[in-house]
Amino acid sequence: MSSKDSVNDTIIHMVTDLIPNNSKRLLMMNTPLKRPRISNPDSVMDKQQQKRPKCPSPGSEEATPVKRFKENDLFYVGSPREIRRLRSDLVDARNKIENFENRIASLHTARKSIEIMYDKEVNELKTQRDKDKKSIEELESQLQSIRKREQTLKKELFDCNMNYKILKNNTDMQIQKLDSSISTLKTEMQYSTSDENNEVTALKRKISELEYIYKAAQEETEAHKSLVVELNKRVADRSNIEGQLEIKTQALAKAHLQIKDISFSKASYLEYQQQSKTQQHKLIAFSDLEKENIKLREEVKNLKDEVHNKLVLEEEVHSLKTRLQNFKGIDTKYTNLQVTNAQTELYLEEFRVLARSICETSSDSSLPRLLRGVLENLQQQEINLTSEKIQLESQLSQVNHVAKVAKDELDKSQKHIADLQKNVKQHQNLIHRMQKKLSLVAGERDSYRKQLDSYEKDLTICINPASLANPGGVQIQSQQERIKNLEKMVDGYRDMVHKLETDLQNVEPNIEMEITPIKAQQISRLQDEIEKLNNENAMLRERKDVLEIQLEEYLVGHDETKARIIHNEKNPLSEIVKLRGQENEKLEEEVDRLKRKIKNLEEGLEASRLADETTDNKDILEVKEQLRSSEQHLQRLKEYFKSSMQEFRNVSYMLLGYKIDKTSSSQYKLTSMYAERPDDFLSFRLNNDGAMNLLANEFSSNLHEMIDLHLHHQRSIPVFLSSLTMDLFNNRTITKTFEVEDESDDD
Amino acid sequence: MAGVSVKNKSAITLKGSADIVCEYLDFGINSILFQRGIYPPEDFKPVENYGLTILMSQDSKIKEFLKVTLDQLNGWLVDRAVKKIALVISNVRTLDVMERWDFNVEYEGDTTDGAQTSEKPLKQIKNEIRDVLKQIASSVAYLPLLDCLCSFDIQIYTNDNVKLPTEWADTEPAHIKNAQCVKMRTFNTQIHKLETMVTYKNEE
Repeated sequence: MSSKDSVNDTIIHMVTDLIPNNSKRLLMMNTPLKRPRISNPDSVMDKQQQKRPKCPSPGSEEATPVKRFKENDLFYVGSPREIRRLRSDLVDARNKIENFENRIASLHTARKSIEIMYDKEVNELKTQRDKDKKSIEELESQLQSIRKREQTLKKELFDCNMNYKILKNNTDMQIQKLDSSISTLKTEMQYSTSDENNEVTALKRKISELEYIYKAAQEETEAHKSLVVELNKRVADRSNIEGQLEIKTQALAKAHLQIKDISFSKASYLEYQQQSKTQQHKLIAFSDLEKENIKLREEVKNLKDEVHNKLVLEEEVHSLKTRLQNFKGIDTKYTNLQVTNAQTELYLEEFRVLARSICETSSDSSLPRLLRGVLENLQQQEINLTSEKIQLESQLSQVNHVAKVAKDELDKSQKHIADLQKNVKQHQNLIHRMQKKLSLVAGERDSYRKQLDSYEKDLTICINPASLANPGGVQIQSQQERIKNLEKMVDGYRDMVHKLETDLQNVEPNIEMEITPIKAQQISRLQDEIEKLNNENAMLRERKDVLEIQLEEYLVGHDETKARIIHNEKNPLSEIVKLRGQENEKLEEEVDRLKRKIKNLEEGLEASRLADETTDNKDILEVKEQLRSSEQHLQRLKEYFKSSMQEFRNVSYMLLGYKIDKTSSSQYKLTSMYAERPDDFLSFRLNNDGAMNLLANEFSSNLHEMIDLHLHHQRSIPVFLSSLTMDLFNNRTITKTFEVEDESDDD
Repeated sequence: MAGVSVKNKSAITLKGSADIVCEYLDFGINSILFQRGIYPPEDFKPVENYGLTILMSQDSKIKEFLKVTLDQLNGWLVDRAVKKIALVISNVRTLDVMERWDFNVEYEGDTTDGAQTSEKPLKQIKNEIRDVLKQIASSVAYLPLLDCLCSFDIQIYTNDNVKLPTEWADTEPAHIKNAQCVKMRTFNTQIHKLETMVTYKNEE
C-alpha cells in the first residue's frame, strides 16, 4: 500500500512541477486533477480519460465566434462613421480574435504537451503497476510456498512425535528389561557373596595355619640366630686365639732371631776373646815395642842426621867436582896462555928491537913514548900529504875544466874561422859574379850603345830618304843593315841568355851545396818529419773515418730523444720476464730435487720410490727430528745418570768411608777415606763364583793380621773393611793427638 | 672511432685526430706483432680496415694492455704531451733490445689551440695510413729473423710535467747496439704528424 502511495505522490509532484510553466488556465484545467484523489490509480486514469475529451471543447467553442463576426460585417451597412467605427471595432475585434486564436493555439500546444506528458506518466504508471503486480504475484507465490512448507513442517513434527512415542515405548521396555536383569544380577551376587564368604572362611583358616607355621619358623630362626651368635662368639674367640697364636709365632721368630743373635754374639764373643788374647799379647809386647820404638826413633833420628850429613857431603862433593872440572879447563887455558905469552914476549922483543932501531935509542923506558911521538909525526905527515893531495886533485880538476872550456872555445873559434873563410869564399864568389855581371852589364851597355847608334843611323837614314827622296835601294840597304844589326843583337842576347843560364846553373848548385849544408840536413829532416806527420795524419784520418762510421752505427741504435720515458708497468715483457723467473725458480727447485734423487739412486738407497720423493723427504726430516729429540733425551738421561751416579758415589763414600773405582773388568779399587797415602788402596776381583777376592798389593801386605782374622777366619769382607777403617781412623786421630802434643811441647 | 669523432665530414677535431693516431697505432702494433712472429699466428684474426686486411691479436691480455695503453696515450695526444711512442721488442732471456719501432709525433698548426680542426679529407689520411701499414707488412723482407723468445713493451716519450697514472712508471730508453734504421712513410692529419721508423740490430 505504501508503494502505491508513493507512486501517487510522484505523479502529483510531476503534475505540480509542470503547472508553473503554464498559464492560469492550465491551473484551472489541472484543478480537476487534484480533486479526484482516489486510492486506486485505475480510477484516476479513467477519470482523466473521461476529462480529456472535454478539454478540447472550449477551444472549438471559442473558434466559432470569428465566423460569427464575419456574419455581423455583412449585416451592418450604415453611416461611414459607424462603418469606420465598426471597421475599427472589427479590426480590433479581428485583432482580438487573432489574439484569442493565438492564445487558443498556444493553449492547444500546451495541452498537447501536457497530454504527451500525461501519456508518458500513464505509461510509467502502467509499468509501475505491472511491476507491482508482478511483485504481488511473487509475494503470493512466496506465501504459498511458505504455507506449503508450514504444512510439511507440521507433518514432520507429527512424524517426529510419533517416532518419539515409539522410542519412548521402546526405551521403557528396555528399562524394564534392564531392571529385571539387575534384579537377577543382584540375586546372583547374593549367591556369589555367600560362596565367597565360604571361601573367605576357608582362606582364613589357611592363613591361621600359615601363621602358625610362620610362628614356628620364626621361633626356629630365633633359635638359629642365637646359634649364629654363639658361633660368632666362637669365631671371635678363634680369631683371638689365632691372633695370639700369630703374636706368639712372631715372638717365637723374634726369639729365634734373638737366639741367632745371641749365638752370633757368642761367636763374636769368642772372636773377641781371641782378639783380646791377641791384644793382650800385643799389649805385653807393647812396652818392649815402645822401648824398641824409642830406640828405633833415636836410630831414625841418627840416621836422618847421617842422611842429612851425607847429603851435605854429597853436595860438597858435587860442587868440588864441578870446581875440579872448571880448574881443569882453566889449567889448559893457563898452559895455552903461557905459550902465547912466550910468543908475545918474543914478538914484543922483536917490536922493541924494531922500535929501538926506529927511535935510535937504547933505553927501553922512553921507547914507547918516542915511538908514539914518531908515529904521531908520521900520522901528521900523512894527514898533511892527504890534504895536499886533495888540493892538488881539486886544482887538477879545475885545470881540466879550464882546459875543456878552452878547447870548446878553440873549437868555436875554429868553426868561426871556417865560417869566416866560407864567408870570404862566398864574398869572393860574389865579387866574381859581380865582376861577371859588371862585364855583362858593360856588354849590355855596349849593345845598347850599338842599338842607339843603329837607331840614330836609322833615323838619319829615314830622314835621308825623306829629304833626299831617293828611296829604293838605299832603303833596302839600310834595312838589310838594320836586320843584320838586329840579328847581331839577337845573337848577343842569346849569348847573354846562354851565359846567364850557365851562370845560374853553376851558381845554384853552389849555393845549395856550399851555403846550406846544415839547412839541407835540416830540410831533409823536416821533410822526413813532414812525411811522417803526413803519414800519421793519413792514418789518423782513416782511423777517424772508421770511428765515425762506427759511431754512426752506434748512434743509429742510440735513442737520443730527450724526454721522459714512461711505460705501463703491466706490459707483456715484464710479465713474461716475471713468469720466466718463476719458472726458472721452479725448474731450479726441480733440478735440485732430481739431483738429490739421482744421488739417492746412486747410493742405492731407494731405487723404486722415485715418485714418493717428496714424502720421503718429509719422512727423512721427521726421522731426523725424532733422532735429534731422542739424542737430546739420551743426553739428558746421561747427564742425569752421571749426576745421580756421582751423588750415589759420594753418598756411599761418605756413609761407608770407601771410594770404589772400577779399574778394569771385574776389578775394583777401594780407597779408604782415612788412607795415609793416596797409594794406599785395596783391590778386589769378582771371581766366577760371584765372590770377591782380595788381591795382594803393597798396602795389603801390611795387613796380614787383619786378613788372617777377618778374611780367613771370619770370612767377611765388610768386617775386614770396617776394622780397617777403624784402624786407619784410630791412626789418624792418634797422629793428630800426637801432633797436638808436639805442638804443646814446642810451646 | 674515427667515424664518431669526425662528425662534420669536412673537419677533424683535435680529439678526432688523436683517435685516428691511436687507431693507426692499434693496427700498426698488431700488424708488427703478427709480422715479427712475437705471438703465434693462430692468436690473430683478420680485420678489414683502410682497404687492407690486418691481422689483429685475439689474446685477451694483449688486447687489454693495448686498450689501456692507447686510451692513456689518446689523452696525452690531446694534451700534446707525447713526443714519441716506441714499441720495444726485447729478447726475454737476455733482455737485449732486438728491435725498436719508433712513432715520432709532431704537432702541426697552432699548438696552443684546444679546439683546433683540420680540413684534410679523412679518405686521404686513411690512404696515407694504408701506405704506412703496407710498408710495415713488407718490412719482414729485410728485418732479421727473431729466432729467440721475444716480448714487447710500449714506451711513451712525454713531457716532463706529465702526471703518471697508477701502474705507470718511468723507464730507461731502449738502445740497440750495432743498429740499422729504416724510415717509413709519414702521415699527418694536419694536427698530428706521425713518422714511423724501425731500428733493428744488425746481424754481423
